[in-house]
Amino acid sequence: MKALARAYGRGLWEGRAVLAYTILLSLTLFIVAPFLMIALRSVGKGWFGKLWLPPQLTLEWYRWAIEVGNIPEVLRNTVIIGVIAVAISTAIGLFAGWAFGRRRLPGKELVLALFLLPLMIPSITYALGVARIFYALGLVDTHFGVALAHVAVCAPYAIMVLAATFEGLDERVLEAASVCGAGPVRRFFHVVLPLVMPGILASAIFTFTHSYNEFTLTLLTYGPHTVTLPVRTYLAVGDGYWEITSAMAILMVAPSLLILALVQHRARPERLVGGFKGA
Amino acid sequence: MRHAGVRAEAAVTGAMLLPAAAAFLGLFCYPMLLTLVLSLRPEGSETGWTLSHYLAFLGDADSRGVVLLTFGLALAATLGSIAVSVPIALALRRRLPGHRFFRLIVLIPLVVPGLIGALGLLIFWGPRGWFNLFLTQAVPILSRGLTVTYTLPGLVLFYLWLYFPYTCVTTLAALEGLDPAIEEAAEVAGAGRWQILRHVLLPLATPGILAGSVLTFMAAFGAFSVPLVAGGNYRPLAVEIYKQIAVPIPPHWSGASAIAVVMGAVQVGFLVIYMRAVRRLGGRR
Repeated sequence: MKALARAYGRGLWEGRAVLAYTILLSLTLFIVAPFLMIALRSVGKGWFGKLWLPPQLTLEWYRWAIEVGNIPEVLRNTVIIGVIAVAISTAIGLFAGWAFGRRRLPGKELVLALFLLPLMIPSITYALGVARIFYALGLVDTHFGVALAHVAVCAPYAIMVLAATFEGLDERVLEAASVCGAGPVRRFFHVVLPLVMPGILASAIFTFTHSYNEFTLTLLTYGPHTVTLPVRTYLAVGDGYWEITSAMAILMVAPSLLILALVQHRARPERLVGGFKGA
Repeated sequence: MRHAGVRAEAAVTGAMLLPAAAAFLGLFCYPMLLTLVLSLRPEGSETGWTLSHYLAFLGDADSRGVVLLTFGLALAATLGSIAVSVPIALALRRRLPGHRFFRLIVLIPLVVPGLIGALGLLIFWGPRGWFNLFLTQAVPILSRGLTVTYTLPGLVLFYLWLYFPYTCVTTLAALEGLDPAIEEAAEVAGAGRWQILRHVLLPLATPGILAGSVLTFMAAFGAFSVPLVAGGNYRPLAVEIYKQIAVPIPPHWSGASAIAVVMGAVQVGFLVIYMRAVRRLGGRR
């Protein structure tokens, strides 16, 4: 019995490349097949019964999605909200990141952990309170209000990424710049800024992705004028016209994949794992 | 003179932290406090104190079921994520041709909006999806296919799809961080591949696997969008909170707040356990 198991194990090891590719291809199928089906649903017509592929192709559902689903306006809302959220979060992150990364701070770890707390607690728990406050202040259903709600989760991301960026700044380069006669202003614009630009970009990409995908906080603060893409998908899934919903989903998912490509080139993917609230 | 300089320095540092502190207090602490206060008010009232929402929630058999369901789903998704991540990480570790592509595939569920993932999963695993099509054609005795969507195992599967990358990325990082010399030493000492995996690689990678799987657990515990659209009759805590304010008219803000406070407290508890475990594992190395 043991010999058999051993022979089996050796066989597995000898075929390890095949085994590895089998595992990886099953993984790919598991992850990608749902999107393939969405894509086919969005262009298929009369796809009923036991058919692997739609019998006819059509772009009708996209027309419906754009006209009835109001995708252009929804996309505009999402981007406006995302840009405002990125601007506020980056501003917060730049100051806090500088303080965390460059300055002596008593209890630094603890303060940073506190600021990152919103990423680690399910957002629905504070979204309730945010919604109550925003109702009272009249911020619900405004682009600024929804963006401000997004800042609750976007700012911690910006702080995390930018603190790491500023920490990685080499003191000697700054000293060299001063020795060469650069004043503080010049030092900032010609030395510091180019060095931290990749970090700022990474932070902007992360925060924009988060705002773009943020659902919970939007669901509790949106209104008829500030429907964003995730909320629109939610409403469409509830409506049940899955062909049209699929077309909407394809229109929305394209930018996220673009962001994925950017992330892979510009930043370490492990950072994506930094926050773990349920979305 | 020096003291004044230090104090000025401290003031500047404080000023730099001010925007972040304002966002933290205004968008996190104050809303949490408000939720806590609201959970202690009688429904629909701004005055008076009561514990009735907590008692109602904790005493009700249905809501105990909700808590149990949330735990069960998160635990099942976590165990599943470890079970799929270890083979994937072992396969990716070898840097076979095309490994970059597969690394990208692993990250897809993290960047794609969860709702779109849920939509795709509902279509793919649904009665008219490819999964059931394959089943009915490959297994002749099955004439009707399996119901996956809106069932408990189906929901676990969806959670797994959405949250396994956390475990997978950290497992891969842990395995790649191991010194190849350790493996070679085991090989020289005469260990078989299986023994190396069982007694050398996995024990060394365990801290990384655990750290990642706790991330999966916490994300799955707070899951909202996927169970909202794909959960059917199964409502974990986050969905239950939302239903409290979305379904009844007038909305049950206080009831929802009480559940939110319970959920937040449980999550903080996990977080404390997690931080301690990470520190202990980190200290041992």
